Amino acid sequence: MPSLFESQRAMARSIANPRASGGASPVFAGAAPRIERGLAVYRANVNAAAAKALAAAYPVILQVVGPEFFDALAREHRRAFPSTSGDLDEYGATFAAFLADFPHVSHLAYLPDLARLEWRVHEARAAADGRAWDATTIGEVASQRQDAIRITWAPGTAIVESQFPIARLWTLHQDDHEGEFTIDWSVAERALVARDGFAVTVQFLDEGEAAFLGAALDGGTLGHAATVALSRSPAFDLGRLLARAIAMNFLCGFTLEGTST
Amino acid sequence: MLSGRLFGIGLRQPHYRDVFERRPALGFVEVHSENFFQEGGASLRALERARAAYPVSLHGVGLSLGATDEMSARHLGKLQRLAERIEPALVSEHLSWGRFGGEHFNDLLPMPCTEEALAWMVDRVDLVQSALRRPILVENLSAYVQFADDAMSDTAFLAALARRTGCQVLLDINNLYVNSINFGFDPARRLDDLEAELIGEIHLAGHEASDGLLIDTHGARTCPDVWTLYALACRRYGPKPTLIEWDTALPALDVLLDEVAIAQATSAAASTSSVCEAHHA
Repeated sequence: MPSLFESQRAMARSIANPRASGGASPVFAGAAPRIERGLAVYRANVNAAAAKALAAAYPVILQVVGPEFFDALAREHRRAFPSTSGDLDEYGATFAAFLADFPHVSHLAYLPDLARLEWRVHEARAAADGRAWDATTIGEVASQRQDAIRITWAPGTAIVESQFPIARLWTLHQDDHEGEFTIDWSVAERALVARDGFAVTVQFLDEGEAAFLGAALDGGTLGHAATVALSRSPAFDLGRLLARAIAMNFLCGFTLEGTST
Repeated sequence: MLSGRLFGIGLRQPHYRDVFERRPALGFVEVHSENFFQEGGASLRALERARAAYPVSLHGVGLSLGATDEMSARHLGKLQRLAERIEPALVSEHLSWGRFGGEHFNDLLPMPCTEEALAWMVDRVDLVQSALRRPILVENLSAYVQFADDAMSDTAFLAALARRTGCQVLLDINNLYVNSINFGFDPARRLDDLEAELIGEIHLAGHEASDGLLIDTHGARTCPDVWTLYALACRRYGPKPTLIEWDTALPALDVLLDEVAIAQATSAAASTSSVCEAHHA
């Protein structure tokens, strides 16, 4: 009599590998063709669940490549990177790496970066809700102490840099996009992903802003991040960026040595 | 625990707006636990809104309860956090496994119904119940393969599991029916495996036929044979909280509410006829 472990191993192998011929396995009851028919239901379910989860996390790539090709990509992705979690929200972090190596999409060179952006959007959607805070307090910090400010970013805030116009691509594929559908493929873009309430926004950043946010998101102080930004872009305007961060709710507090808000 | 007179629907995202605006008279709503494992965001907010209006049942599909793989502490932790947040009336999972050797199939795979598997499930259910500090419900599956060493029916397996762990049985009448057609047995007789007090909830759903098999798609109305079986279950067990499950090809909310009305009428008629039978006995 096979043990529970052996039964599950045999079934897992039969599902993962269609050529494993589960019909011949002694763990199943019934005639071989009937067993194969049953296993085919499970194989289809497994692929469908993975494809559905991937489509939920990568709706723009789904639109870019079309549903049929996306299903094929999802199948190949699952073969290369099987799910390891019972929470399908966690499935698909590997899609960008998969796309970068998958020869059949090598002509769509921007796809891996677009995938990285979509994954950050997916994560931001599920991030903890930001808390209300009094934004006037940051203006009240004495000027000689401002360099020591360490900003608290809303959960989910992230930067994705690319040599392609990924933020523009993402924006054009949103249902609520209004305006032009043109795209300048020569533009390298830095995209900021941020939660504003329950909505996730993708915003363009210039070089100085991206340098500042990159340093500040890594935990750098305001003084350090501003120095990094100014070294990249002398025109960097800290006040304008902070005002935007406060208005769009991705700056949600700060700490100073010895105190916090 | 929910009263037996309560009827509910599986609450899915396309129906949120309708449900929140119309507030249909439902005894409870049920959601898939894993769809609300986020730390924050719009989905969780919607569930909190639903919870403010109805008792909520958390129905898990990803815990891989019966797997020989170690149980994911992370998954169980997320379920625990969600249960603390939502204070559900019921928490349920399946008599199934989904993960083997680290790979998760994200599907409900059947357990061999053996004494060894039963002992294993007893330990796993104990583990979950002590983590959540509450009894859970465990549901019978639709299965597409059977194991050569099955020593009992899944309903008898669940009855033994419930007696040994204090968990309750979530009896899915459609799953019982689908299996009876796919594997050729009398589903009515399987109701004898379970005593009324072991059953905490009943599921009803639709299935579809495909290439010689009935497939549990949750994408159609409950079929007449399943209604008949449900009526039989109501007579045997008395009224039980009953849920209409619909997951694919989701119709308008009214179709689900109509299914709920049929379930209510079926359950009411069954209790009347049980009373009559008792009088004549």
